[in-house]
Amino acid sequence: MAETGLSPLAPELSEAGRLSATREAAGQVDEVDLIPVRTYWQLVRTRFVRHRLAVVALVTMAALVGLAIVIPTLTGDLYFKPDLTKIHGGPSLEAPLGYSNIGQNIFIRLMRALQTSLQVGFAAVLIIAVIGVTLGSIAGFFGSWVDNLIMRFVDVVLSLPTFFLIIMLVAFFGQGNKFVVIFAIGLTGWTLACRLVRAEFLRLREADFVQAARALGASSYRIASRHMLPAALAPIIVAATLGIADAVVVEAALSFLGFGISITSDASLGNMLNNAQSYFLRDPILIVYPGVVLILVVLAASFLGDGLRDALDPRQLIKR
Amino acid sequence: MATYILRRLIQAIPILIGISVIAFLIVHFAPGSPVDKFRSGRVNPALLEQLMVLYGLDKPLPEQFASWFTAFWQFPFREDAWGYSFRDGRPVTSVIFERIPNTLQLMGSALLVTTIISIPLGVLAAVKQYSLADKVISLLATIGYAMPSFWLGLMLLFIFGVTLKLFPLYGRHTLGEDDLPDLLWHMVLPVTSLAIQQVAGWSRYMRSSMLEVLHQDYMRTAKAKGLASSRVIFKHGLRNALIPIITLLGLTIPSLLAGAAITETIFSWPGLGFLAVQAVVGYDYPVVLAVVMIGGAMVILGNLLADVLYGLVDPRIKY
Repeated sequence: MAETGLSPLAPELSEAGRLSATREAAGQVDEVDLIPVRTYWQLVRTRFVRHRLAVVALVTMAALVGLAIVIPTLTGDLYFKPDLTKIHGGPSLEAPLGYSNIGQNIFIRLMRALQTSLQVGFAAVLIIAVIGVTLGSIAGFFGSWVDNLIMRFVDVVLSLPTFFLIIMLVAFFGQGNKFVVIFAIGLTGWTLACRLVRAEFLRLREADFVQAARALGASSYRIASRHMLPAALAPIIVAATLGIADAVVVEAALSFLGFGISITSDASLGNMLNNAQSYFLRDPILIVYPGVVLILVVLAASFLGDGLRDALDPRQLIKR
Repeated sequence: MATYILRRLIQAIPILIGISVIAFLIVHFAPGSPVDKFRSGRVNPALLEQLMVLYGLDKPLPEQFASWFTAFWQFPFREDAWGYSFRDGRPVTSVIFERIPNTLQLMGSALLVTTIISIPLGVLAAVKQYSLADKVISLLATIGYAMPSFWLGLMLLFIFGVTLKLFPLYGRHTLGEDDLPDLLWHMVLPVTSLAIQQVAGWSRYMRSSMLEVLHQDYMRTAKAKGLASSRVIFKHGLRNALIPIITLLGLTIPSLLAGAAITETIFSWPGLGFLAVQAVVGYDYPVVLAVVMIGGAMVILGNLLADVLYGLVDPRIKY
């Protein structure tokens, strides 16, 4: 598929090169404007669409997010309301996956749990991105002792047994609270993002356009936020997308172990699994559903991340 | 090499100090307290005060940290260096050290299984690139990678333990037995659930590493001089493709440790992770702090081990 003449930049480059040569020779300035110039993001879109699995992943993710928003909104409090006449009831039209041990509609509960998982995933990744970008750009921009200090801190956080730490944070600072779970995952998971941004900033520090901005008298903050950060964004977007999968799994694991979101406060894939294992002999299929949803989220996020990695990488242009 | 290892160990000291500060701060700024579980109308509050004094929790925070920290490093000589568990009053050193071998057993076996399975799979997928075998391996790896290990553990437990009754449900040994076959029988499910995700990841790395090697000039040379293709692949190819895999070792140890916390809890395996979960639930501060320190030390040592092995197998790398 890559070789079938879809390579976007190669012909364009030669076209532009040829044209600028003819322009200089013949003075035909007007023709340059006729060539459709494609921006970076247009190229990204072209490359992303070419990646079939990534498109499938994007559609899946969009569908999951849509389901997680629509169904819990439409059904209101049905996700926890027990119907005591339907305990362990089988599948029906309004409950495609049957009823739980206290007569809750499993499908609606599952969708509510998906909503919780995605909320935790996106919010935790947001915290990771904010901390990672802030510390990483400071370290990469200023270098020297600031960089050294921040990177030694990164070394410490990297060596922490992260999952123990998350359990500790959640257990001590508010077991069962969604926001504590989000912060625990966010506060322990930013090291990769920080190192990526720092590396990009170190690379960009000496770039011509940064030097130009500096020569024009732009302030440090302006150079970092307006000139360097947009150029350093690609690896962060990829890491954040992949990070969603990790955060969702960690939340599920926490809630499964009984530290995360408790079954009485809200539905979560983890606490549904925990509950399902108590009723395994009665209703074995219940431990399958949350797992399948988890796998779907993880697969969608990882393929989306892979697709974005290829699409956002400017070097991919020249190769193909 | 010896100076390199020494230098790395010295560098690890500030990292461990950082870990201890973070762990200490989290534990001591936590809203709850270890005596909360005794608080009820029938318990004299003065008694709880006495308990706080006994645990040393009444002193100012810096003083608590200083005494904990100075005592911590004396663990090779003092049984009470890490304090006593709030739960059963035993010295934390013995509580921890009797658990470490169990966790290492689980992690080591998972690592062994991972290596034995993933390397041949990765080589096969790379050598027969784009074949059916490659596609099947890649599909399985993707699914295996996406399956959370705790869910997998649960599924294995219920399918092979509860329904088929092939394997035991919990623990390391059947009561009254402590021979090797019994231990191995108990290890099958936890090790499998820990290993599958690693196998998925490793076989993908192995495939790409092998693919890179297959296109090298020395591979063509080896083929050109008429060596059997198995010899080219295993003697010339595999040995070079394995080098980057060694760095995976350092990356795998933290994730195995996290996986062990969950897997041990699911299978009631008496290791560090299970201990940590119980200690956190019971506000057992001395045990929690010691587990975090040991976990951190394991991560640091794992990375060091990977770097040292890297230097040993690749003569081009000098320290």
